[in-house]
Amino acid sequence: MDLFLQLLANGLINGTFYALSALGLTLVFGLMRVVNFAHGELYMVGGLIGWALTAQAGLNFFTSLALVIIIMGLAGYLIDRLLIARIRNQGEEPGILLTIGLSIFLVNTTLLVVGTAPQKVLQPFSNRPLFLGPVVVTQSRLFVVLMCAILITAAHLLIQRTKLGRSMRATFQDSMAASLVGIRSKQVYAMTFALGAALAGVAGMLLGSIYVAQATIGGLVSLKAFVVVIVGGMGSFAGAIVGGLILGIVEALWGGYIATGYVDAIGFALVIVMLVFRPYGLFSRQVERA
Amino acid sequence: MKSIISTGFVLATLLSGGAWAQETIKIGVIQPLSGSVAYNGSADVAGTKLAIEERNANGGVLGKKVEAIIEDGGCKPADSVNAAEKLIQRDKVVALSGAFCSSATIAVMPVAETNKIPLVTGVSSKSDMTEKGNKWFFRATETDGLLAQSFAKILAEQLKLKKIAYIGVNDDFGRGGVEEFEKRMTALGATTVMKEYFDHGTTDFYTLLTKLRSSGADGVFVAAETQDGSIFVKQKAEFGLNQKVFGVGSWATADFMRLAGPAAEGIYAAVPYAYTMQTPKNQDFVTKYESANKEKPGKYGAAGYNALNIIMDAIQRAGSTDPEKIRDALTKTDYEGPNGKFKFDAKGQAHGFNIVLVQLTNGVPKVVATTSIGE
Repeated sequence: MDLFLQLLANGLINGTFYALSALGLTLVFGLMRVVNFAHGELYMVGGLIGWALTAQAGLNFFTSLALVIIIMGLAGYLIDRLLIARIRNQGEEPGILLTIGLSIFLVNTTLLVVGTAPQKVLQPFSNRPLFLGPVVVTQSRLFVVLMCAILITAAHLLIQRTKLGRSMRATFQDSMAASLVGIRSKQVYAMTFALGAALAGVAGMLLGSIYVAQATIGGLVSLKAFVVVIVGGMGSFAGAIVGGLILGIVEALWGGYIATGYVDAIGFALVIVMLVFRPYGLFSRQVERA
Repeated sequence: MKSIISTGFVLATLLSGGAWAQETIKIGVIQPLSGSVAYNGSADVAGTKLAIEERNANGGVLGKKVEAIIEDGGCKPADSVNAAEKLIQRDKVVALSGAFCSSATIAVMPVAETNKIPLVTGVSSKSDMTEKGNKWFFRATETDGLLAQSFAKILAEQLKLKKIAYIGVNDDFGRGGVEEFEKRMTALGATTVMKEYFDHGTTDFYTLLTKLRSSGADGVFVAAETQDGSIFVKQKAEFGLNQKVFGVGSWATADFMRLAGPAAEGIYAAVPYAYTMQTPKNQDFVTKYESANKEKPGKYGAAGYNALNIIMDAIQRAGSTDPEKIRDALTKTDYEGPNGKFKFDAKGQAHGFNIVLVQLTNGVPKVVATTSIGE
């Protein structure tokens, strides 16, 4: 029983991390119809900026976190205005090629500037074990889980409750009608990608504070994020959260009771099962779009 | 007319390019420069470059400068084979050094054999690689089997470990290390309470640690590289576990200790090289490496340095850049590196050099025991 509780706790914690890592990807897809293959690289860049600000420049963790959100948001805004805007409304393939190219560019630029060494984002909470009955966690992990929950809620409120969020949803339901009522769609697209990039970057920084930030980490992050998004349903906000938690728990239980050597395979097994039985994911919005 | 002139120009350029290429001796280097062991691969390349700079400063080999052509194999078999084909076919290298991960090197071995190009590895340690009868392959490092044979006794007797958990990275190196140590330790009376593998680039070890906690092990054997290994020991400390850890892989390095922080304290590592080894050759190597790379050399810096020096010695001895002659000269290797003397046996396995058991104490890999690899 102790084993089960610990595995469940590990799974839930990891699941929250997966959810935040995948959120930016699913938003950009759901709202913009762009499959962002550079998502993992934006995560990596956010992590390394977080490292540069906390460990190199010696800034406070929260100041750095705010700076990462601003820098990544700005970068996302520019990526959309300068690159993605050029291939808008040309189907999905140009977007795939563009973002794959962007990911290669980001990895190699980072390798050139920072090098291959894994780096650590400094964070204010301790890594000492905390015993909650039979379950061990650390303060730093609980802190990151809390931050994930706050950020997910903030993103949700931004989309559902603000004027910007309403114009985003309007634009993606019917961009012609949205333009007619005076929504500046160029601006809205750019802000959406900025939101996706900021979420990726902030996830990279938060997770870089308990794991490591490294130039070549993006590929693995993207893979896991795609698993989460496909299981949860491409473009679904709730799907990213539930998909993340499912992946975290399934991986923990599989690793705990069967074999840790094949943990990465289990996520893809989930994807196959999902594609066979519910091809649009758990929280599919396919019907609305049709 | 214009086209004839331009064709002539292109030909002249090609010819002069060819003539220029004659002036350097090209050695192909395949290392992982991307992926989760990229960091260790870059250390190997740093050692490689140091060896070549040193040699070129002293007049090069056979009166020519040596040039390393470095390709990224990413620790992946397919990419490493592509890199080897490119180096052999396009760059016409006379010898290969690489390809780091055992799985990748095993894939490159037949390519070297078909093309008759000698391949020297300073890193890949899976025992059976030198048992494949490939006469173009040379291993200038220890095998998992030799390491296990040398240190299992010390571990069992000095650390008094009875119940052992084995954890390895999920590839030929990790599986090889775990199998060999388990075999030796079991023969010495230890019992195996857990045996698990994890994938390269794993960031979260809590599941493994949960199993480790309930396994009742009093010692943990870990086969992993710098990044995976440092994350593992750090999370083990977070998890509040205090079993003794002994590892193989890149553990006795300054970076490992920087990444793992206080969690590295007290860990034992069986390594073929530590910068604290006391030989005059090593002191010289450490000084030069540190001034070039702003960090102390680890196992892989030394591996790249040794592999290239062994190849360049062989070319010098062969008196020719003919790969067949270089291969024959390699069999007569008698090289002294920072970690002792290297000679090859009939199967291409090096012997004669030292390996050490270190304990990480206050951020320094303190040598606990030294032994040399016998024939």
